[in-house]
Amino acid sequence: MKLVKSLLSATLIASLSMGVAQAGDVLDSIMSNKSIKVATDANWPPQSFINDKNEMDGFDVDVAREIAKRLGVEVEFITPSWDIITAGNWNRRWDMHVGSMTPTKKRAEKLAFPAIYYYTPAAVGVHKSSSISTVAGLSGKKVGTGTGTTFELYLQKNLSIDAAGAPKFTHQIDNAEIKSYETSTIALDDLRLGDGVRLDGVVSSLPVFLEAIENGYPIKVVGDPIFYEPLAVTIDLGDAELDAKLKDVIGWMQKDGTLSKLSLKWYGVDYASVK
Amino acid sequence: MIQDTVTDALLLRKPKFVISVLVIVFIAFFIGDPSLTAMGHFLEPVIGDPAESGLYGRFATSLMLAIIFVINLLLISQIPVFKYQVFVVWAELVVLFLTFFYSFNLSFEFIQSKIWFMITQGIFTTLYVSAISIAIASVIAVVGAVAKLSSNGFAFAIASFYTSFFRGLPLLMQVYLIYLGFPQLGFVIDAVPAGIIALSLCYGAYMTEIFRAGIMSIDDGQWEGSRALGFKFGLTMRKIILPQSIPLIIPPTGNQFIAMLKDSSLVSVIGVWELMFLARTLGNKTFNHMEMLITAALLYWAMTMVLELIQSRIERKYRKQTSR
Repeated sequence: MKLVKSLLSATLIASLSMGVAQAGDVLDSIMSNKSIKVATDANWPPQSFINDKNEMDGFDVDVAREIAKRLGVEVEFITPSWDIITAGNWNRRWDMHVGSMTPTKKRAEKLAFPAIYYYTPAAVGVHKSSSISTVAGLSGKKVGTGTGTTFELYLQKNLSIDAAGAPKFTHQIDNAEIKSYETSTIALDDLRLGDGVRLDGVVSSLPVFLEAIENGYPIKVVGDPIFYEPLAVTIDLGDAELDAKLKDVIGWMQKDGTLSKLSLKWYGVDYASVK
Repeated sequence: MIQDTVTDALLLRKPKFVISVLVIVFIAFFIGDPSLTAMGHFLEPVIGDPAESGLYGRFATSLMLAIIFVINLLLISQIPVFKYQVFVVWAELVVLFLTFFYSFNLSFEFIQSKIWFMITQGIFTTLYVSAISIAIASVIAVVGAVAKLSSNGFAFAIASFYTSFFRGLPLLMQVYLIYLGFPQLGFVIDAVPAGIIALSLCYGAYMTEIFRAGIMSIDDGQWEGSRALGFKFGLTMRKIILPQSIPLIIPPTGNQFIAMLKDSSLVSVIGVWELMFLARTLGNKTFNHMEMLITAALLYWAMTMVLELIQSRIERKYRKQTSR
């Protein structure tokens, strides 16, 4: 009996210690392998998507490339689904996530956010022929958004952004009938079918709406941005050295204007700082 | 079905039947209101502007379509050879289908620019993930089936627990559980191996039952005979039982493979760049979702058609061996 107990506790300790990254481990292996594995989404133009040459491209991808360049390592992209990334506990499958993630309190329990690299305005879009003209006008209506996103939390009136420097906001939409999609681009496909056919409105980031409108979607953006989402580079918990290093690199990219330049390249607007 | 010499009069030779088909088809068209389609446009000299032709236009176009449908039916029934009849109906359905897709106003340029990548990256990944998985699943199935049929309580318990668990969970959940769960035990596996493990375990469970049924269908006398010859269990299985049960096992296994080919799309959630993943992502930048979905759909369909063909070949081969 005693033997069984000690065996059990030994395996328990072993399995627990294996799960947690040792301080400095991740950074050390990035530097010694000369390669960093970056997780990002392939479904989120213009942040990250697959381009004409069937390669990853976009603002987030460029930022990740720039970080790797400044670390002096190669970059490799992988594209797990969003909920797997936010689940945390990456176990070194990838070292860093550059995919426009908002640092919320809940996520900070599972993940670490070394630095914010830009802010996107979140906005509300409706069909062109819709009579809704204010953000609050979507109260009680069918509103689509991406599942597990801050937009969904906003609609559930559950969003709290606690990152330093993020502007305050209020929940303006009451009792929306929330329809959650795999990504909000699919919600836009439903919205384009017509006003109220499947959706009355969509909550997503302003750049996504602008991109869709440019591609001929019959939608319009309503009111002012509902909140400014600070978006951060994300790493797994437990490696303070990698955290500090990324803080340095992002701070450097902010100071010398690289982030503003990349933002202008992809969005035509400088989102690297809040107006 | 068995071909015999008893023949009924063709249904389409009975005026009553033909007229009732006409009426039903007409009603169906009338409900759908085809007056704004190409047919309404075609009838413009008779009904005037289709948009303003109202009930009369709706009536006329529906009737026209129904008559064309019935004439088509009668013509096809005139074709004497079964094979040609099948061919003509297939061809008509394919044309209808393609017109349906064509009406979506798709960008064929975009499809053309992506299709090669979908084949080299998407189909390739889908095929090798499925092929490896079905191979592993077959091995699991043989072992599982033997264990389920054994009189050893321990083996039976493990095998039945396994089939019960893996048949009882949605495959998508298994993919998540294996990808996210294994690392908790200290085994960090990549997306592709995790997907292969999930598919193998799930389909292994289904195929265990198929193999078990195949083995059970062999008469007890075969076992007794080989026992009398002094064969041990392994030899009996290899030389007597499995060769006889394989013709029974092949058709449902082929089905499983086709099903797996499609279910392998579920591993796209863990970021494997197979066909389904590409279908969802390639069109995203330029908002060409429909193009990619339809292309992927047709590619899946083509793949399963090829597999069905192969399956029927294999079946025919085994049937020849066993028939008198």
